[in-house]
Amino acid sequence: PAAAQDAVTWKVQSHWPGSSSSYTDSLGRLKRVLEERTDGRLKLQLFEAGALFKATDTFNAVSRGILEMGTISPSYAQDKISLAGIASGLPFAFRNVWEAAYFHQNMGFEAMLREEAAQYGVYWATDKVYPTEMVVKKPIKSWEDFTSLKIRSSGALQTFLTEAGAAASYIPGSELYSALDSGIVDGAHWGAAQGALSMGLYEVAKYHVQPALNIAGTDVIIVSQKALDKLPEDMQKIVKDALAEQFWVRTNEYQYKEQLALAKAQAEFGVEVNTLPQDVQQKLAQTAQKLWDEEGKRGEKAEKALEMLKGFLTDLGYL
Amino acid sequence: MSVLTTFMRGVTRLNDFIGRGIALLVFAMFGFLLLEVGFRYLLNSPTVWTNELSQMLFGVYAIMSGGYIMAHRGHVNVDLLHSHLAPRKRAVMDIITSVVFFIFTLALLWFGIDVASESIASWETSYSAWNPPVWPVKLAIPIGTGLLVLQGLVKLLEDIAIAFNLDYYQPAREEPEDSEGEYL
Amino acid sequence: MSIEILTLLFFGSLLFFLLLGLPLAFVLGGVSVVFLYFTWGFDSFYMVVSQISGTMASFTLVAIPLFVFMAMVLERTGVAKDLYRMMHLWFGGLRGGLALGTLAICAVFAAMVGISGAAVVAMGTIALPSMLERGYDRKMALGVINTGGGWGILIPPSILMILYALITGVSVGQMFAAGIMPGVLLMVLTSIYIVVRANLQPHLAPALPKEDRGTWPEKLRALRAVLLPIGVVVMVLGSIIGGITTPTEAAAMGVLGALISAAVYGELKWSVMQDAAIRTFKLTGMIMWILFAAHAFSAAYQSMGAQALIEGLIQYIPGGPWGIIIAMMVIIFFLAMVLDPVGIMLITLPVFMPIVKSLGFDPIWFGILFVINMEIGYKTPPFGFNLFYLKGVVPPGITMKDIYTSVIPFVLIEILAIAIIMIFPEIATWLPDQFF
Ligand code: NA
Ligand code: NA
Repeated sequence: PAAAQDAVTWKVQSHWPGSSSSYTDSLGRLKRVLEERTDGRLKLQLFEAGALFKATDTFNAVSRGILEMGTISPSYAQDKISLAGIASGLPFAFRNVWEAAYFHQNMGFEAMLREEAAQYGVYWATDKVYPTEMVVKKPIKSWEDFTSLKIRSSGALQTFLTEAGAAASYIPGSELYSALDSGIVDGAHWGAAQGALSMGLYEVAKYHVQPALNIAGTDVIIVSQKALDKLPEDMQKIVKDALAEQFWVRTNEYQYKEQLALAKAQAEFGVEVNTLPQDVQQKLAQTAQKLWDEEGKRGEKAEKALEMLKGFLTDLGYL
Repeated sequence: MSVLTTFMRGVTRLNDFIGRGIALLVFAMFGFLLLEVGFRYLLNSPTVWTNELSQMLFGVYAIMSGGYIMAHRGHVNVDLLHSHLAPRKRAVMDIITSVVFFIFTLALLWFGIDVASESIASWETSYSAWNPPVWPVKLAIPIGTGLLVLQGLVKLLEDIAIAFNLDYYQPAREEPEDSEGEYL
Repeated sequence: MSIEILTLLFFGSLLFFLLLGLPLAFVLGGVSVVFLYFTWGFDSFYMVVSQISGTMASFTLVAIPLFVFMAMVLERTGVAKDLYRMMHLWFGGLRGGLALGTLAICAVFAAMVGISGAAVVAMGTIALPSMLERGYDRKMALGVINTGGGWGILIPPSILMILYALITGVSVGQMFAAGIMPGVLLMVLTSIYIVVRANLQPHLAPALPKEDRGTWPEKLRALRAVLLPIGVVVMVLGSIIGGITTPTEAAAMGVLGALISAAVYGELKWSVMQDAAIRTFKLTGMIMWILFAAHAFSAAYQSMGAQALIEGLIQYIPGGPWGIIIAMMVIIFFLAMVLDPVGIMLITLPVFMPIVKSLGFDPIWFGILFVINMEIGYKTPPFGFNLFYLKGVVPPGITMKDIYTSVIPFVLIEILAIAIIMIFPEIATWLPDQFF
């Protein structure tokens, strides 16, 4: 009863639509956990993608302190955060999700991101790391199969796929299903299995391509430092601890749900996993490495992060 | 008083001139979309820039239309009450409601300038595969809104003149609500 | 302040300033700014700019100026006029024949576009003058265009259905399939209404006098007038179905078709093109400024806690599962009088969907009821996009009151359609069940 008097409500703008599993699994979880651990003193009021702000304005809104919290993809903050390009995923770098998780939390990449975001009054906490994978209408069995593809893509991956020789074009999410259905494009990526399932892509494209195009911390929770500072110290700690824990819980849970989604796609829609032939994988990795260096040119921090990444991958025996 | 008249004519002409130019962007949007279809379907090599450029042009096209449309009385309203009023009473009512108009447009202008200058300060780009600068589109928000505010000011001056029978503005004979025929 | 009182004040001031005659775009925008200031503070105006720049960056909206331009060219070059002359020669003997023809064109248009406004503007430009010229009652003509123009979101492709699928997690393909038979049902109901009404009150939709109905050679010659419009339709629909273009890009094919038609008529002149471009600019800009402000308005309402209001309301509903579904429809109907469809979706669906599913109803079926309700919302006063699109193209002398009152019978027909689909859910669910 006394607690209710000092209850604080934070407005939280998501970049996920309500049907996305992450909306409930990530934000719903955080809301529940924070409310429980603060005895109801901190409440989150959730808003779906686009409800208050355009997705790409969320970082600015949190930075200005208009919003207390939001979720973004690092690419929405590219003009401010020089590490955003690396954070949203270099193609064909990590091969397993645990590697990306280790790179973020144990090699210090997350700390570097947090430091850069702090300049804008934003507390950066990666929600999870996970793969981005493609679905295609006909299987890729050779390099010719790959280069003859028309793929719906966006951002850095669009550059990568084009560079590699496929015909990649951007089509807004609202037209993606129809485009894939009628054959305007033969392939697309929208997250991985869960994303493709939620967009109904498996109804019209039956091959799920592996390995992943990239594995990265593509979902980020951002908190206004101003809002955080206003909380009593014990609550600040609760928020930060909950976010730190969130990364591990969600990364693990997401992998589990990926496998569930893929199994469902296979059982209900007759989807097959299309593993790229070895030579195709090799050619793609070569193209990818040329593009990595571009990201390093974003600034001193990006250069340092790229060095760190290359060292890490060399240690793992991938380079 | 002639200063006011000159100002009013000048703003209206400016909006008219800009509007007639921006209106032609529809040809560009048409051309680029068609080009993309051709490149993708016939040559199997979609471009990275056509659809994004059309979308950016559309944003500018839309936001820059405000002043021109106001000059031609094209912003739709509910005329249930309006159409029964004598011109002077209508002018008085429009003077009162213009407060709401200015609250909206000035807030938009203020924050539009803020957003545009922030975008220009970092030479913001879209970070798509094409990665064009987006600040020109953001800059169109305060410019388009500014033109609308100016035309709103002209409308307010007109209404004041009609309401108080001032001589700096003489309403033309009953202006047609819709200007269907004016370009023929 | 509680959300209940805020809602009353918010919508109350919207109605008040609308009635005072301030253009809709500025009422929506101004009211949003004032309420944001008192509930959230000065900084929140950033949200208004953000919503506007988000709307500016919506690729699917590029289809609006292109489809409007297509209609303007077809009208200016005389293609549309000849099409209506042909319809009159062939169906002129039938009371309400021209209105039925207009509905048929609306249905074809709906299959080409995924949005609602473009068809209203196009038909308002092409069909309205033709019907008025031939002695049709203005309310009959306006109502037909308003209702037929709204079918674009029910008959696939439909941007609204894709959004519904995205928010609720149902299949897009099933939603599309589910829309087809309800679309046909609406066409049949509307046609029956027109034929019955035209026979009871012939002056509303008169038949052509016998001596003007034309001879067979004349009728056959007039048929040439359909070739070009059919060509345009084939270009647009063919490029969507054939996997050549997305629905948005197909608008460019429509323009190409219109330009070819203009060339055939010898009207591919700069003066004609410039005139069409300027009229397109005025209409598109008018629509877009309303859309800018409407999105800011919905965002402002959501930030005040609209969802909490809906959650609260739904708890008081008596009458079991059907009572709840009907109550949901009523809530959506009232929201649709003042809000735009996307805003309504974001506010209501997260609350409604879990309930709909837990009561054992089919979310696809509910989606169809929802979309038809949105069609109603597009034409219910005070705020309905189609009403304002239409106001933007009608000849002087037709007032908002004419447009407001013209939709009444057609809204009732659509409510009837919702009732029929509630009683016979198979109308919506049968076809999608065949596909997957
Ligand atoms: Na449609
Ligand atoms: Na309405």
